[in-house]
Amino acid sequence: MKKTLLCLMGLLLVLMLAACGGDEEETASNDDSDSTENTETENNESESTSTEDEEVTDVRIMSHFFSPTPPSDDNEVEQRIEEATNTELDIEWVSANNYPDRFNVVLASGDLPDLMLVPDPFSPVFRQAAEQGAFWDVGPYIDDYPNLKEHIADIAWDLTTMDGKQFAIPRPRPSEGDSFFIVRKDWLDNVGLEEPTTTEELYEVMRAFTHDDPDGNGEDDTVGFVGYINDENMGGFGAFEGVFNGVNGEWGLQDGELVHRAFLPGTRDMIEYLAKAYEDGLIAADFASLQVSQARDMFKAGEAGVNVNKSGALQDVYDSLVQINPEFEFKNLLPLTNVNGFNPKGPGFAGANVIPKSVPEEKMKKILGMIDRWMEEDVFMLHKHGIEGVHHTVEDGEIVIDTEKILADGIADHNQIVYVSDPYASTVKPTFPEEVQEMYANIQDEREKTSVGNVAVGLHSDIGVTYLPELRKDAQDLKTKIILGSEPITAWDDFVEDLKNDPDMQTLTEEINESYQNR
Amino acid sequence: MIVQMIDNEIKQDGTDVSVYTKQKRKPGKLIKFFKEIKRDRYLYLLALPGIIYFFIFKYVPMYGITIAFKDFSPFVGFTESPWVGLKHFTRLFTGSDFLMLLRNTLAISFLNLLFFFPLPIILSILLNELRNQFYKRTVQSLVYLPHFLSWVIIASLTFMLLGKSSGIINHFIQSMGFEAFDFLTNPDIFWFLLTGQSVWKEAGWGTIIFLAAIAGVNTELYEAAKIDGANRFRQIWHVTLPAIRNVIIILLILRLGDVMEVGFEQVFLMYNGAVSEVAEVFDTYVYRVGIQQGQFSYSTAVGLFKSFVGLVLVVMANRMAKKFGEEGIY
Repeated sequence: MKKTLLCLMGLLLVLMLAACGGDEEETASNDDSDSTENTETENNESESTSTEDEEVTDVRIMSHFFSPTPPSDDNEVEQRIEEATNTELDIEWVSANNYPDRFNVVLASGDLPDLMLVPDPFSPVFRQAAEQGAFWDVGPYIDDYPNLKEHIADIAWDLTTMDGKQFAIPRPRPSEGDSFFIVRKDWLDNVGLEEPTTTEELYEVMRAFTHDDPDGNGEDDTVGFVGYINDENMGGFGAFEGVFNGVNGEWGLQDGELVHRAFLPGTRDMIEYLAKAYEDGLIAADFASLQVSQARDMFKAGEAGVNVNKSGALQDVYDSLVQINPEFEFKNLLPLTNVNGFNPKGPGFAGANVIPKSVPEEKMKKILGMIDRWMEEDVFMLHKHGIEGVHHTVEDGEIVIDTEKILADGIADHNQIVYVSDPYASTVKPTFPEEVQEMYANIQDEREKTSVGNVAVGLHSDIGVTYLPELRKDAQDLKTKIILGSEPITAWDDFVEDLKNDPDMQTLTEEINESYQNR
Repeated sequence: MIVQMIDNEIKQDGTDVSVYTKQKRKPGKLIKFFKEIKRDRYLYLLALPGIIYFFIFKYVPMYGITIAFKDFSPFVGFTESPWVGLKHFTRLFTGSDFLMLLRNTLAISFLNLLFFFPLPIILSILLNELRNQFYKRTVQSLVYLPHFLSWVIIASLTFMLLGKSSGIINHFIQSMGFEAFDFLTNPDIFWFLLTGQSVWKEAGWGTIIFLAAIAGVNTELYEAAKIDGANRFRQIWHVTLPAIRNVIIILLILRLGDVMEVGFEQVFLMYNGAVSEVAEVFDTYVYRVGIQQGQFSYSTAVGLFKSFVGLVLVVMANRMAKKFGEEGIY
């Protein structure tokens, strides 16, 4: 939390400078065209002189990281990647907690890295910049890079196309294995319940986890569910909304028309359900003021029995729980297959990388070449399994991974830059015990039968740019209050009624549907 | 520090100059001015680094304010973005958020003025009355230590103390047989929670200036008061308070200028969905709309409005202070 704040402070400072640094900024952008040309000619010159010995390309990258600390600059994995791709990488790691803010600020500052992560390739800020020509349209080039074409699904390329142009290089992710309920199996056994498949059963599980002393220590110190709330959506409670509506994301399809989830009856049911659960004490009492990490910590500390996460992210949950109870087994972290016949499906990518127009064409091609080379097994494996002898050893042809070393070096963060999607990657990690890998993979296969995708990925509405953030926030604030019991459920009905008559809402729905039809 | 001293020197010198030129206004005012500069050239030279610093880092960046009147788009740049006049201000003033922001900001500030401003004065007078120097010093150090804690730590402490499920105070309340009280997600007490935090963190620190001012009071005044038969309270009322009145007023003016600033960090850290309509202030709004949603022009307009109100308040407060015969800050 402190780190987040520090970053925030830094960001504010940057924004102040960016917003205030009028003159310098202006001259910088005015000179921009000149300086790009300069570097271009310089590059060309140096290239023509030393094309034979394949000059090393300097690449500045900005991406985010999820580990406690980002990989160090001189780590061996990075050096090996540089060798293989013939580049000199200068990676700026930004905490994933506030990457979107940082992205906006960097965009405003005009000083863009050569390759940067776009967390949301549909955000208005990115769209606007792309429309104005801030980024390379890589569409015409990707055919030259077989790995890019092959390892990034066509659907991901299609969804991220903007007006026929391909500004974004999607970061491939498995579409199965999205965040969903994780339940403590050992607690289920202790209270004598089965794996829940409906919201009623889930309620009973949460109730038992709260009141029936699931950890068997004789104290009333557990709670059914722990989650956090985002400013603009249900955050860690999002799975409930999905389950009740059977809809993934903000827009549900009703008779061929897209309808905002505020109008879906399931949303109201979800609010009532959670309000009751809160009143019965089944949800962590402080949920509305919890940070993401605080909510995770409660689950990791064995204070809560149900949480929402990707099963592939459970390693550190296990690491923490096994410290508290050495007999804890990994397989006790049970990902639910589906609830009410619903589980979410990802879009097959998570964010995208872009190359700014300030990068000369030759270098842009080299960067694409770098990603292409990086996607090959021998390079990509460097941050999957680490380096032999350092992060893993090979015994009888089997790779034995040193989990601690991999986590300590944070090498997996390189996945954020280049990743080759293995269909099970969100569900299992090579560090998991083998039986758990198998069990989770089976669960994923079962989930695949019922998974529901987000129909509205990439849809655009002009009015939504300013209207949607406010709508999301107002709706979320009200949901939170009703769940906390400070507003009655009728407040939601009034809100929906007002929303129906709101001309902006009508325009938004029309524009989104138009965008949907045109796809 | 040095720059400040030079500034002061120049100010003194500058007043001389203005008096001088005012008297002999007509012949060659400009020439006179340059002559003055020439005469004091070394002083000006000494001040130059300070002047350059303020020019480059304070005045030049103000150019960026123009984006409040443009549809700023980062890639197009400052100069190329189209002018849109007062569009963003219209959006702010006609939008539903404006009154809420103004209410919250003013309410939090007002509570601060009411509870937080007088406290350091009272505290420093109390400290001043202590006779045991060692005890006084210890208490003084202890009360201003929280100032050095960051808001993050104070927010965490607040969560630990007041949390509903794990907070110590709620544990205590529950052990007494009462229902746990909702401190953190309760819109009714949010403002008071903030004020309480401010008081806890900054009240001790605020005493430093007042204690310094009190230390400067001539002891003969107290002796004279004693001879006149004034008791302790009379001495405080008739000697101490009037002696530090100008300090109080200057600090009050500075505070009034900050009425629109309620401390981004503190509000941001304590913010949550349940209290949003009493917690959203101009600072958090600018952050949310500007940085998180990337509406740079609109948030600049909001920020500019905020600064403008602050400026007006300072000017007004300063005028008032002068009217009441005090010195003011400029």
